[in-house]
Amino acid sequence: MMTRVKFRGQLSRVRGSLLLAILLLAATGCGVNNVVIQGNFPTPNVNQLPLTVAVYYDDALRDFSYIEYSETGQEEYNIASGVSHIQLFNAILPAMFSEVVVVNSLEEAQSRNVDAVFAPAIEEFQLALPAKTKLDVFEVWIKYNMRLLSAEGGYIADWVLTSYGKTPTETFRSAEAAINDAAVVALRDLASSFSLSFAQVPEVRDWLNGRGIRS
Amino acid sequence: MKSNNNRLDRKGLCLGALLAALASCTSTTVDEFRQGETGIESHESVVILGRRQASDYETRSEFVECVGERMTRGENAVSVIPEQEFIDAMFPWFEPRTAPLRTRDLEQLMAEDVVANKMNEFNIRYIVWVDGQTETTDRAGSISCTIGPGGGGCFGFGTWEDDANFDARVWDVGSLTNVGTINTDASGQSYLPALVVPIPLIARVEANACSRLASQLKEFVVGGS
Repeated sequence: MMTRVKFRGQLSRVRGSLLLAILLLAATGCGVNNVVIQGNFPTPNVNQLPLTVAVYYDDALRDFSYIEYSETGQEEYNIASGVSHIQLFNAILPAMFSEVVVVNSLEEAQSRNVDAVFAPAIEEFQLALPAKTKLDVFEVWIKYNMRLLSAEGGYIADWVLTSYGKTPTETFRSAEAAINDAAVVALRDLASSFSLSFAQVPEVRDWLNGRGIRS
Repeated sequence: MKSNNNRLDRKGLCLGALLAALASCTSTTVDEFRQGETGIESHESVVILGRRQASDYETRSEFVECVGERMTRGENAVSVIPEQEFIDAMFPWFEPRTAPLRTRDLEQLMAEDVVANKMNEFNIRYIVWVDGQTETTDRAGSISCTIGPGGGGCFGFGTWEDDANFDARVWDVGSLTNVGTINTDASGQSYLPALVVPIPLIARVEANACSRLASQLKEFVVGGS
């Protein structure tokens, strides 16, 4: 008799846990999925320019996140990529320029005796999910505005760069992991096009020529 | 007791053989087109890279890894540089947007000292570009699963066909020419009968394509004119 009572007690506890698990599952199914982009970015093999460059990451870039909405207008994914963008630029800029200093404001650059100030900005971020495109790939597209200023804040160059990354759908991979992978491919694409095309931007090329630097 | 065990063993063996026979319904065709002489020294290496330029698919890195891993095994094994290690070391020259599409592009790329030096560091003799995918078609049947307080189970039958098609183009880094192309086409039917428990009888299409492509590639880069 005692055994039966004990067993019933255990059964009701198991039912309670199951109910709680189902409720939690339902609750998480309704909320936004947070994705913080994480990846490793290699140092590019490019010819280094003999320049001291200050880099300024504004708050919009540092805290950049993109929200993808579902077809019913609900927040579906919140993709935070500010930190990974900073990691990426910190990996590629020292390979491109002989000296790089990170400054907290454009005014600070004036006192650091630098040749130029680089200030990147994200203008647009787009995500394409297989459920919407009916393709078996997750895609990320990012548009940047790259600005190169003199130490005093004057204009040197201002150009637009786009980057693209995709990753195929896989059976045992979550959508969050696939979004992360596609974003990392897009960031690597940014790094490759930025490091290879920097000296080919007409205004940058003219400025380099003016300083006697042949790219 | 002993004869009972023997009978059980025999039943198990028969079931295993039946499952293996059903699961191995895969046909593979390999075509080789040679355009130049090949050969590789013991200190030289091969790198196998997946093409990722197509808009609607990309060559899976797992397949590329599988081909590379199989080329390093058995008779006439060759040294293969892992794809990601090579791409990272060569960054940013072998990214989807910047990778050379023709041997003429490779020639231009090798004019860059940083690229030529890295290529020499790895002792790369051949670059193999693998391009392709595995597509699933002809899905049919349905399986329904139920779960209740007394237990659960699945009933039904599902079937589908997988078709793997991969091209491997071999570039000679020494002569900066395309020395040949190997095409592998594998297809197979998979079955999923479910009688309480689903029993997957999966055709190992991509694994067979990988194995056959790796063997052919190994022979190709090692073997004479």
